[in-house]
Amino acid sequence: MDFRFSPEEEKFKEEVRTFFEREAECVSAAKEEWDSGLGYGPNCWNILQKIGGKGWLCPTWPKKYGGLALSYMYRYIIMEQMQYYLNIYSTVGAGMAGPVILSHGSEEQKDQFLLPIARGEIEFALGYSEPQAGSDLAALMIRAEDRGDHFLINGSKLFNTRAHYAQYHWLGARTELTEPKYKGISLFIVDLKTPGITISPIWTVGKTRTNEVFYDNVKVPKEALVGQKNRGFYYILEALDYERISTVSGIERDFMEILEYVKKTGKGKDPVIRQKIANLAIEIESARLLALRVAWMLNNEKIPNYEAGMLKLLVSETEQNFVNTSMQIFGPYGQIRKGSKWAQLNGKYERNYRDSLESLVTRGTSEIMRNVIATRGLGLPRG
Amino acid sequence: MDFDYSEFQSILLSSTKNFLEKEAKGLFREIENTEEGYSPQLWEKIAELGWLGVLFPAEYGGIDGSFVDMVLLIEEMGKALFPGPFVPTMISGLAILKYGQASQKEEILPRMIEGKLILSPCLAEPDHALNESIIEEKVSTRNGDYILSGTRLFAPYAHVSDRLIYSADTVQGKAIFLVDTKSPGVSCNPLDSIGGDKACEVNFNAVEVPESSVLGETGKGEDIIAQMNEWGALAESAYIVGMLEQVLKMSLEHAKEREQFGKKIGSFQAIQHQCANMAMDIDQAKSLTHEAAWKLSENLPSTKEISMAKAWASDAARRVCLMGVKIHGGTGVSEEHDMQLYFRKAKASELAHGDGDRHREIVARQLGL
Repeated sequence: MDFRFSPEEEKFKEEVRTFFEREAECVSAAKEEWDSGLGYGPNCWNILQKIGGKGWLCPTWPKKYGGLALSYMYRYIIMEQMQYYLNIYSTVGAGMAGPVILSHGSEEQKDQFLLPIARGEIEFALGYSEPQAGSDLAALMIRAEDRGDHFLINGSKLFNTRAHYAQYHWLGARTELTEPKYKGISLFIVDLKTPGITISPIWTVGKTRTNEVFYDNVKVPKEALVGQKNRGFYYILEALDYERISTVSGIERDFMEILEYVKKTGKGKDPVIRQKIANLAIEIESARLLALRVAWMLNNEKIPNYEAGMLKLLVSETEQNFVNTSMQIFGPYGQIRKGSKWAQLNGKYERNYRDSLESLVTRGTSEIMRNVIATRGLGLPRG
Repeated sequence: MDFDYSEFQSILLSSTKNFLEKEAKGLFREIENTEEGYSPQLWEKIAELGWLGVLFPAEYGGIDGSFVDMVLLIEEMGKALFPGPFVPTMISGLAILKYGQASQKEEILPRMIEGKLILSPCLAEPDHALNESIIEEKVSTRNGDYILSGTRLFAPYAHVSDRLIYSADTVQGKAIFLVDTKSPGVSCNPLDSIGGDKACEVNFNAVEVPESSVLGETGKGEDIIAQMNEWGALAESAYIVGMLEQVLKMSLEHAKEREQFGKKIGSFQAIQHQCANMAMDIDQAKSLTHEAAWKLSENLPSTKEISMAKAWASDAARRVCLMGVKIHGGTGVSEEHDMQLYFRKAKASELAHGDGDRHREIVARQLGL
């Protein structure tokens, strides 16, 4: 048992940290832009390209596709630092679309997409959720009809968060009406500028922009199909599997800010607040240990199955508990928004409290994670 | 980074499992209402297996293991609800190893490791507001020897112990004494308690203790007590982790068997989600405990990590056992089923060496509050 990074990994971590410190100006502009909830703007693209230039967006990929052929622990180390400095810990391209292209894409797709993904030049919007297909993703209904020389796509998507700045849609669409439903789904890479696509904004309670995406007789070339037709649902699950690493470095960073606040304001003498702070520290530490373990499993070619579900559950619930507790520590001041002289820490936690809801429901709600843990991890029978 | 067990740990684990499965089935129930509260025969056997020497150097007959090894061993004991003075003897022995003079170590440690000496810490003074009949606290000296009077509470298995670790306030400050239980004036009465741990009331009535029995430096007793409580808290956390793993295992077995409304109850999400929460809770307690044990093994600062582990484990003990009972339904409440044993013992472990609130306060202090 050893909870330390190896000396080489420590050295690498230092290198990544130094990079972010050196790029402080660029980093803080990108973080501010990202924290606005609008997604990537020029500053985010700028820093992502600098990170990508180092090979750090896809460090586990082969060198010819812009990676460094490093092990998963290195990816974890980079994600930890990215999250700490930027709140962005990966891109959809690097974390989900890219790995599926790498294992199932055509040679043309690999050549067209992998290098730009690794270099931080392009992004994908996940095109999974629909009004009637959330947790039950296999129920998705958007149709992709095979018209011989192209696919014709009609239907709509909901909560496709990156669609307004990503170049490509990572689209799950129905290519066949089958029973069971998951056997008729295919994956496509669609250029979001294709005629017939309309993207309209939806604003979350956290003032993060997400989108509805409408497909109205959209003609998509045959080459847009990823892997085999009707195998899309398997690829979707596989893509979720690739993105198992999670970190708590952003929560740790904000926790230190709250701890300093408590010390400075003298609130640290209050036994109730002492209990709350200690409890947060413990919960965050337990989540960090699980994050490390999952990364270690991937690094050692062990398949984190329910552990990944646990990690997703624990990190998102910990984040929610953290911002909730922070609000309680501020007391009534906690509700005051950015801009007022009474707002604490610039109203950051008032916004984070609203925004923390998102991670509880994206990538599988906490309840879905509990289903996964119970059935896959604990072997309980499906209902 | 390595979350695997070493080869030694894997062997230790499988031999421990085998031994406990063979020897400790039903032991808790069998032993609970006996006078001793443990099995002297099994105590000899675990000494032969080397358990009592895991943390001690070879020169005293130990096997030079680490705190991680100890934690893994205690987890297995927790699963089996193995009763007895293992933890009190260990933390007392460690105190002698760390603070004792060479003569004290030589006198006690080899025999302790052989299973011939049981040790018990007598560190908790009674709350004076709660009982009038306790012996008046008194420390005096005669010809260089100490004369000690006082009552200590919750000394685990003191009634079967050979040496007591007794704390008292001297003029130079808190001191720790190593006292032979057979000394005139010592009496130990086991208290009937929820976990059947034979927590004792220990009375010292003008007990003569030679100066040479002082453990460590006179006046530094608080440090020794704090250190012993840290070891104890870590050990209890491990015992809790083991107990809870067993509770989850029993609950899952029940949920996969029991049918209501024409279905296995384990197929209901109401049960599934509670089981998932239990698994999560246990996982957190376990990784915090392992990290703390690892830090202690590596001589890294571990006060905060130990308190993190005990704070979480203490509360998880209550939460997980409560859910275990609920999942078992009426069975979980019945005397006959083992679930209630874990439910009771979990409460004793929660309170031992500081509950969740106590350890969160330590964490808060460690964070600079």
